[in-house]
Amino acid sequence: MNMTEAGARLHGGTGALRGGMFAAMVAALLAALIFSIGAGRFSVTPGRIAEIILQWLANPSAPLESIDQRIVLLVRMPRVLIAAVSGAALAVGGAALQGVFRNPLVSPQVLGISQGAAFGGALAILLGYAGVTLLGFAFFFGLSALVIVGLLARINGRTEIVTVILSGMVVGALFAALVSIVQFVADPNTSLPAIVYWLMGSFSTATWARFWLGLPGLAIGLVAIWLFRYRLNLLSLEDTEARSLGVNPDRERWYVFVATALMTATSVAVAGIIGWIGLVVPHAARILVGEDHRVLIPASAILGAAYLTFIDTLARTLTSAEIPLGVLTALIGAPVFGILLRRHFSRVNQP
Amino acid sequence: MKIRKASGILSGAFLALMAHTAMADPIELTDQAGRAVRLEAPAERVASIPMPMASTLIAIDGGVEKQVGMNPVAKQAVLDGILGKIYPEAKDIPSDITAPNFIPNVEELAATNPDLVIQWADRGDDLVDPITNAGLTAMLISYGTEEKAREYMTLSAEAMGRDDRIGPLIEWREQVASDIAGKAADIADADKPKVLYLLRAKETLTASGAKNNYNTWYIELTGGTSASADLEANGVTINPEQIAEWNPDVILLNNFESDIAPERIYSDPILSLTNAAQNHKVYRMPLGGYRWDPPNTESPLTWMWLADLLHPEVFDYDLRAEMKQVYKTIYDYDLSEEDIDNILWVDLNEGAAGYDQFKAKS
Repeated sequence: MNMTEAGARLHGGTGALRGGMFAAMVAALLAALIFSIGAGRFSVTPGRIAEIILQWLANPSAPLESIDQRIVLLVRMPRVLIAAVSGAALAVGGAALQGVFRNPLVSPQVLGISQGAAFGGALAILLGYAGVTLLGFAFFFGLSALVIVGLLARINGRTEIVTVILSGMVVGALFAALVSIVQFVADPNTSLPAIVYWLMGSFSTATWARFWLGLPGLAIGLVAIWLFRYRLNLLSLEDTEARSLGVNPDRERWYVFVATALMTATSVAVAGIIGWIGLVVPHAARILVGEDHRVLIPASAILGAAYLTFIDTLARTLTSAEIPLGVLTALIGAPVFGILLRRHFSRVNQP
Repeated sequence: MKIRKASGILSGAFLALMAHTAMADPIELTDQAGRAVRLEAPAERVASIPMPMASTLIAIDGGVEKQVGMNPVAKQAVLDGILGKIYPEAKDIPSDITAPNFIPNVEELAATNPDLVIQWADRGDDLVDPITNAGLTAMLISYGTEEKAREYMTLSAEAMGRDDRIGPLIEWREQVASDIAGKAADIADADKPKVLYLLRAKETLTASGAKNNYNTWYIELTGGTSASADLEANGVTINPEQIAEWNPDVILLNNFESDIAPERIYSDPILSLTNAAQNHKVYRMPLGGYRWDPPNTESPLTWMWLADLLHPEVFDYDLRAEMKQVYKTIYDYDLSEEDIDNILWVDLNEGAAGYDQFKAKS
């Protein structure tokens, strides 16, 4: 059974079931958001949080005098929202790439974008930049990685999937080496710990300013893939089949790559490298709603948002020290992915 | 009369002989990794790979002549700071003997022909083996507490045959520490401010101050408590919310970030509401021959500075006068008023509570 059959089957008979599934996922996301705004090292009672948020909604421009108001509205809110949007973007990026490459093991890291963005960010820290400049560096080098992959992969005017993957590996390795060089020359007393921590991923520097800075890239990518969800079903067919259906797979794949690069580079820029979301969340979404990209994309977005919000809450509340996010996502993601893999192959290999 | 003269000559000769044997005597030390270190004679050529050692060796020897190599980051710090002004010849010291990450570049290191190479203990054999395999003598030091600092300072002095200079330095540390401890003994626990040392504050916030950590040690010595004492390690990333929860009375900013200023705290929506910010008790730590935050040869000045700030009612050190005297003794340098202002960040800490006491008296 191929993916379109699966999609068609799911789309046919189980609309009500899927509606219920989406309702449950949205409920999970809302629960994660509410829980995250309530949880933190500084204790604010749930009643007080509700009061603070209601006051703010009634009069958003009122000055924030007390520390609990500021913590809820200026620290937790932007952090929770930025984590949610990043989670959605990373998961959707993964789902889209897995569709385009017809390979469930693909994630944004395959295109070398994360490594490119990581190099940009590390370089910015080495040079003593922070904030917007760091973001700009990460973003610029993330997109540069994609452009290089595009140039390398285009042979005789055509881009084959296998050349894209190989080019992505090459470019990723190149930027990984550049990251190592930055770490090698970094001052172990000053910039090196900052670089290492940043590479492990964290939303600890989230502010409204950063949220608004990151939102456009993440949102544009998300909307683009959402608009492309029908095409993704076609792109996940064999190229000849897709062409016969009036699709130019070559060009359209690049739309997906650019949208994914935009999201990945932005998320690396605002929060460092957070792995495993793009790999694990689409799989979970597939189990829940099936392989049709028209439902898989929104499901991945919702689950990714809920998952990263929840993980980030753990990262900032478990201990007085901030646990790097990438560590938690890998600790949880790797075993889950291992189980999924075993299940997948035991089913595929059934005699 | 004859006898007295003869014995005079004899004792003179004996003393000369003694001095000669002392010169020729090999030096045997046990370094901070517990290894035996043997030098045929006091080291005349010393290469140091750990960063704080550069300024330490300069202070102990009173000059840069014996340094044949140092960490590039340490060299930059020396050149950028007051030591570069005192010893402009430091710019000629090779710094390619190691990468900043302390992995020695053995060929460059050997080319400097050092009698002694100082390297980190406790950071694995990979940092040490290349040195000893090249037939060079390594002395390993370990970092972090006042006790260890005194130990490695003493070891370095012995290796360079500068026992004459280290004695007074250690004595001074001991004497200032016990003077402060004695005066602080009467401070009631309720009067001890909660002090937070931020190892990093520009982008991510990183705190130091776990139990037994050096920053905690001098915060407690000078009559404070460490706000971050419940952290498990040093240099731990925390969020502003956690600082709000601690609500420190005093915030100390590091010298590792070159352009950090108290304004960072005052302009932060959360941190500006802490007791420290509200009472204008945010200070950037001074930057002398080395950063005053970690242990260094000028540490007693750090303690006096902090004691004066935390408990002006108890302590009354004339920091500027002390600094002048110390710099004269250690570096044989007369600090100008402007030098002192720069070291103490008088402009940057302008307006901070109690900082007027450190201004030059006109």
